[in-house]
Amino acid sequence: MTDDAPWSFDKPSGRRSLILCALGALAGLGIAGFGLFTAHGTRTSHVPAEDVALVNQTPLLMSDYISQLRALYDVPLSEATAEQKKKVLDDMIREELYVQRGVELGMQSDTTEVRNALVGAVEAQASADAAMAQPSEPELRRWFEARQANYALEGRMTLRDYILPPGGSGEAAAAALRAKGATPATLARFGLRSSGKVDDDEEFYFAARIHLGDRLFAVAKGLDDGAVSPPVPQADGTHILVMQVNHRPIPQAYEDVRPKVLTDYTAEQAKRLLAGNDRFLRKRADILIAKGFE
Amino acid sequence: MMPRACRWALPLSAAFLALILLGALLQWGWRHRQLDRLMRADPDRILADPALARIALPLGRSLFAIHCAGCHGPEGEADRVKGVPDLRDGDYLYGVGRVSEIEGIVLHGIRGGDDKGWNLAAMPAYGTPHPYRSEPIKPLRPGEIRDVVQYLLAGQGRAADAGAARRGRALYVGKGGCYDCHGQDRYGDSAIGAPNLSDRITLYGDGSAAALYRSIAMGRAGVSPAFAHVLSPVEARAVAVYAGSLNAFNRKKAAR
Repeated sequence: MTDDAPWSFDKPSGRRSLILCALGALAGLGIAGFGLFTAHGTRTSHVPAEDVALVNQTPLLMSDYISQLRALYDVPLSEATAEQKKKVLDDMIREELYVQRGVELGMQSDTTEVRNALVGAVEAQASADAAMAQPSEPELRRWFEARQANYALEGRMTLRDYILPPGGSGEAAAAALRAKGATPATLARFGLRSSGKVDDDEEFYFAARIHLGDRLFAVAKGLDDGAVSPPVPQADGTHILVMQVNHRPIPQAYEDVRPKVLTDYTAEQAKRLLAGNDRFLRKRADILIAKGFE
Repeated sequence: MMPRACRWALPLSAAFLALILLGALLQWGWRHRQLDRLMRADPDRILADPALARIALPLGRSLFAIHCAGCHGPEGEADRVKGVPDLRDGDYLYGVGRVSEIEGIVLHGIRGGDDKGWNLAAMPAYGTPHPYRSEPIKPLRPGEIRDVVQYLLAGQGRAADAGAARRGRALYVGKGGCYDCHGQDRYGDSAIGAPNLSDRITLYGDGSAAALYRSIAMGRAGVSPAFAHVLSPVEARAVAVYAGSLNAFNRKKAAR
């Protein structure tokens, strides 16, 4: 072995080995240094291009800065004056400093608004994740088909609700209404008066249910156009319903309600994600509950 | 003893490898510099700057195809079934089509669960017991909804029942409270995504009386996902530039 000719590759050379080792070490150090100073979460003196500033290494996003300029002065970045830019940047830095100080002071433990905002933000993250995962069209259609009734256009009805005076014959009054219709003579003959609950035009089913109450509504929705109900005893007297027009809920085609189906699907996925999140957080948390409060 | 040809193989290979590495490093550095320029630029000026547009558009197009085309189609075409707006017609529901506004939508979405997104309002479902979650709004009767529909049709210069349209106008500016978002003039409000009702550009359905009835009775609340945790800032900007470039008005402006 000789050190006289280190670049003669057909002969072993101690000096060459040392030089190559040193070069390798230098390259390794260079790569490590680069990684160290550019990795997220490490101190850097360089402001990344997507940020307008770093406050204690927390980035202030350029997109937020541009939005603020637009919101405050209605100017694009290139037309904002130095003063406007400075004002917006100062405000953003101040906000970030106060947020960081708030965390230092433990505001998240003391201030109800901060706690609510944090809970809301974590919950919203589940919605964001759910919104991101778009279902395939067949999957969404299957989901819709399993819940098609929820997407029917609300039913509508136009009807009259009459109350029989005490002691009157409900069956006879209903039979007369069926035979002759709700003429003034028929109403007068049996002393029928309107309950006033559904006198004003066509109503959606949900409104008719509120106005009539559950029991009368259940009778009403089963009536066809022009039908008269049997007498229905109620606390305020015996009621007879005369249905003029009953438009039952109209099932909607998938194509007509797809956006709403997607919204509901996403909301359900978000709820699932959130439930999973709850389970995960509880599982990894160290929760000690006082005796007697388990 | 190595043959003469082999003696030079190792150093030549090493030199070649070093050259490739150096080239890759230079390419990476150059690319990084270009993307930094893109991020430091005023987003609303990028389309007018050919050098910046050349950086943003190819990247934006490829990302748009991956993340956005599923709903918006590869060229930003409308889908009236899905309630997807036409990105090419210059009629913007949110904002006025500036790249900076589109970038905000890409990052933070519309009702996409991001607090910085466009989440201010949604179309109430007037044919339900509780039309709006965040404010107490009274439902309308079926006949009232039909009257409002007639008012809207009349306002678009389409055949409508004059009496019903008159009643519809009273509801629009009164009980229905439609003016609150869509404006007294029906021109809408792009700050909250309330569409212009005076034109015939529709987001949902074919603009027929039945489709309008459905929108008023069942409400609308379209969603655009927030990509802030999926795309890097520079990718979001490139997508915004590409989406902005689909609009003919922006293209003309850039050409000038």
